[in-house]
Amino acid sequence: MKSVVTTVIAAADAAGRFPSTSDLESVQGSLQRAAARMEAAEKLSGNLDNVAKEAYDACIAKYPYLNNAGEANSSETFKTKCMRDVKHYLRLISYSLVVGGTGPLDEWGIAGQREVYRALNLPTGPYVAALSFARNRGCAPRDMSAQALTEYNALVDYVINSLS
Amino acid sequence: MLDAFSRAVVSADASTAPIGDLSALKAFVASGNRRLDAVNAIASNASCMVSDAIAGMICENQGLIQAGGNCYPNRRMAACLRDGEIVLRYVSYALLAGDASVLDDRCLNGLKETYAALGVPATSTVRAVQIMKAQAAAHIQDDPSEARAGARLRKMGSPVVNDRCASLVAEASSYFDRVISALG
Repeated sequence: MKSVVTTVIAAADAAGRFPSTSDLESVQGSLQRAAARMEAAEKLSGNLDNVAKEAYDACIAKYPYLNNAGEANSSETFKTKCMRDVKHYLRLISYSLVVGGTGPLDEWGIAGQREVYRALNLPTGPYVAALSFARNRGCAPRDMSAQALTEYNALVDYVINSLS
Repeated sequence: MLDAFSRAVVSADASTAPIGDLSALKAFVASGNRRLDAVNAIASNASCMVSDAIAGMICENQGLIQAGGNCYPNRRMAACLRDGEIVLRYVSYALLAGDASVLDDRCLNGLKETYAALGVPATSTVRAVQIMKAQAAAHIQDDPSEARAGARLRKMGSPVVNDRCASLVAEASSYFDRVISALG
């Protein structure tokens, strides 16, 4: 799982050396930002259902055609699955906030994403709309501190970029 | 390879749940500088620790450096020192990550079988690891014995915390114990 610590260790191991001062400094840099990331992860996971619901509602409001017969949001099963997908992305974002790298998103969200959506004939636009809403809805200091919100926004942007 | 953070994430993902309790990770972050100092204490004293551990092992078992012993001739002694350094290096990685997976996957997996095939005596290896475990504890505590060290006394700095990083000493010791049980 890619994080600052594992990246540093992998590099040191490839060179066969003990962790050097600069290795330790880069870990320290990550630990200094960890408090903000932990805060964002805590707030997001504590409110995951609501954030996902709002984001899902926003994307269906923007793309109402998805409710038409035969479209991706046309049955109860489809609706719960759409909702679940949005929630998955937000959960992986909270994991990535904890790890301090994009490892969980890369390995469990983005790898194979394009192929799956193509095979299932799903549009990625609505996902982008949902995540954009989740991104713009965040507000400091109402939801979390400014630094925490920056970390959160960066990861939502990362997912949005992967979808477009 | 996992660290303390990704370990928590992997176990949360197994039940597709958000991470509920972040207090352990927050404590990890809060005491992060101590951990880095502990890793630095090992890394900065590594060659001294390794050579002392191997020398101690041989002191207690002179047969190792006589003809037919496993540290004779120099070629095999050099291999022994190299292996001591490798073990200590992976322990330092595990201590930095706060998780034993890097030690397990990259060092201990198959080590026992390799040593058995090469005829390396497990008891001597375990003894060298035990010595390194004691050295690592002393260096992390930064509390070397002045009576024994004499003129060679070496300190990393003045201690900052009263408990002398007891939790990190215990954690490092647990990684050395892992090596010992993997060899036994």
